[in-house]
Amino acid sequence: MAWLIVELKLRSLRNAVRSSRRARIAFILSTTLAAVVAAAVFGSLAALRGRPGAVDEATAVFTMFAFGWLVLPIFAFGLDATLDPALLAPYPLRPRPLAAGMLAASAAGAWPLANVLGLLGVTVGLAHGVPGLLIAPAAVLLQVLFCITLARFATTGLARLLRSRRGKDLAAFLLLPVFALYQVITQVVPRMAFEGKLRPVAFAGLDRWLHWLPPGLAAHAVQYASVGRTGTALGCLLLLAAVTVLLGWIWTGILRRALVTVDTTTQSSVVRQGGLPFARFGLRGAVAARFWIYQRREPSSLIYWGIVGVVMVASSASSLLTPSYRGALLSSAGIGAALLAIFHSNSAGMTGPAFVYEAMAMTSRRALRCYFSGQNLALSVIAVPLLTVICFGLAAAAGHPEAGFLAVAVDFAGIGASMALSNVFTVRLPYPTEKREGSPVRGASEGHAGRALGATFGSLLGTAVAVSPVAAAEALTSADPAAVRIPVLLVCAACYGVALAWAGVRIAARVAEPKLPELCQVALHSMA
Amino acid sequence: MGGAAIVVRGLRKRFGAQEAVAGIDLDVAAGSCAGLVGPNGAGKTTSLSMMTGLLRPDGGQVLINGLDVWADPRAAKAVIGVVPAGARLFERLSGAELLEYAGRLRGLPAAQARSRAGQLLGLLDLTADAGRLVADYSSGMRRKAALGCALIHNPPVLFLDEPLEGVDPVSADVIRRLLARLAASGSTVLFSSHVMELVEQVCDHVSIIDKGAIVASGPIRQVRRGKTLQQAFMDLVDVRASAEDGLSWLGSSSNLSCAR
Repeated sequence: MAWLIVELKLRSLRNAVRSSRRARIAFILSTTLAAVVAAAVFGSLAALRGRPGAVDEATAVFTMFAFGWLVLPIFAFGLDATLDPALLAPYPLRPRPLAAGMLAASAAGAWPLANVLGLLGVTVGLAHGVPGLLIAPAAVLLQVLFCITLARFATTGLARLLRSRRGKDLAAFLLLPVFALYQVITQVVPRMAFEGKLRPVAFAGLDRWLHWLPPGLAAHAVQYASVGRTGTALGCLLLLAAVTVLLGWIWTGILRRALVTVDTTTQSSVVRQGGLPFARFGLRGAVAARFWIYQRREPSSLIYWGIVGVVMVASSASSLLTPSYRGALLSSAGIGAALLAIFHSNSAGMTGPAFVYEAMAMTSRRALRCYFSGQNLALSVIAVPLLTVICFGLAAAAGHPEAGFLAVAVDFAGIGASMALSNVFTVRLPYPTEKREGSPVRGASEGHAGRALGATFGSLLGTAVAVSPVAAAEALTSADPAAVRIPVLLVCAACYGVALAWAGVRIAARVAEPKLPELCQVALHSMA
Repeated sequence: MGGAAIVVRGLRKRFGAQEAVAGIDLDVAAGSCAGLVGPNGAGKTTSLSMMTGLLRPDGGQVLINGLDVWADPRAAKAVIGVVPAGARLFERLSGAELLEYAGRLRGLPAAQARSRAGQLLGLLDLTADAGRLVADYSSGMRRKAALGCALIHNPPVLFLDEPLEGVDPVSADVIRRLLARLAASGSTVLFSSHVMELVEQVCDHVSIIDKGAIVASGPIRQVRRGKTLQQAFMDLVDVRASAEDGLSWLGSSSNLSCAR
């Protein structure tokens, strides 16, 4: 049974790789990344040798891996057929052999292997003497077994929820903390470490909490064995094994119930009924109403707004407390506006086949102008206050709240530019999109990555060029009194942004008018 | 019935080497209900997309109530309602919001759009689900909601692509009755379907399309020629016999013989 389920996973993987060039590239990249991560983790754990807080840092690494095992399979739920018990429920399988098979399937693949190889770095960095060297591999294997069981426990427990529309929405929101964590690890931590603000002592407080969690037990077992406390080390490993067995036992129970429990995918939510907003504003109001509702109810929209916030904060965080805070604030504001342009630069493709209903009503250039301006109004209602709050928040964190006004001026121009660019790219470089299993946001369909890339770099470059006059004006007027300079800059930047958005709407409407059938085909080829 | 509400002349479309629609001619009289039937890949969806201004043809002309779809799309689109294939809708709107949005897109005042939306939801048996998100609707409910979107501005000509695809019998009956009602009221309806029973029940005209060409067209009785529409259809299109050799093991009797 175990081998059959492992085979199912390997065959699914092989077929997915054979299905398209994109899948092959993704597989190669993923495997390469797994190898790189394994080498990097092994290297960094090995480098802990002889350092005073080595066990604390090793505990942090072990815990981070466990967190990854807990969260990532929830994203991959639709990708891995062995994760969903409902797919195996029609077959006459006994829960225990099935559980063994599912565990074995989880252990198969490049990432679990990378996990084991990477963590084995403790054999060099933490283990001393024969007892340490004997305990270390056992601790790593037990830690990985715990992680796999934890992942299965989480996905099986959440399986019914993850199959439902609401569950998928909730899972999508997990992307934000993971993305924020990724930004912290890739942007903030390296800079802080480089500036000497991140020292091993920082982990000491954290370790007091993590020590008694299963990953902490594994790391500390190696440490105890290395300092001659073999009994304590074995006790830690026994405790970890007991927790893993208990978790596995609970998981098998959940699995047994999941195989005979009804599906809940038909559960649904009811929204407040009161009609669409902006009733008095005709076609423009109708489109604005639809986009406004989508910004609140569509998980990918909320994720995009979250990403704008996270990137704005992460890109400037390490420079806020330095003399170059002003540049960091302005670039952060520009990046936020550019992301806005990128995320909305393919409106028809992102809307999908439902765009046809809108296109049927776009019977004139005026109607198209209403469509684009309605969309821009809905986005501006969120973008202006959100980016303003972030700019002032960052300025306050930098200790120079007045600098927030300058960043907001850049944002006013940037938001106008992003609206214009997104409208123009929507009609100039439209491409069909698809939502791949496991991904909460839509991406370009196969064969259209070039257009998506063009729109992305075009949006980035276009926003940078568009906001540069405002940044230049701020630099040129830096000697003028703030009481005069700031209001003038804000008003001029806002007018400039509105003018850019207005021009974008008119250009996009003119280009779209003869291209509506082609835009409809792009939308119709977008898949769920 | 009056003159032709839908006139198609020499409509053709090619995708690379494949000729999807090979110059079709079609006339649908005003106030009639016409069916366009054909096997998968025959060109039904491509033809309907070109007739409704959603796909640019390589050649040919489409007139809706005398308005040229490709020369004057603005005027032509105003007089038609469309339910495209698949009926993917705005998933994050509720049923009531969806229909109101469709009405407001079509230029109806908000109050009128809201009122019509409520009435159509009642007609389509969706009132109880009006507040639910379309994302949570079943296939049949989606089809009915899509039909509501197409009808909200009361178009004189209605195009439907596979209106009963994936629809349960109860929803199918609601759609069937609605189409019969529209046809009786003088609206012109053209729909594609695999369901011959629906075409026989609702339509007065039928066109059979195969490999991008119309192989038969006219009043149902004339096309059937004394047979059922299903039989006439099978005779007209190129149907391959299924290979059944080597399937002697399939069926309960073989299990019994094995057991013995």
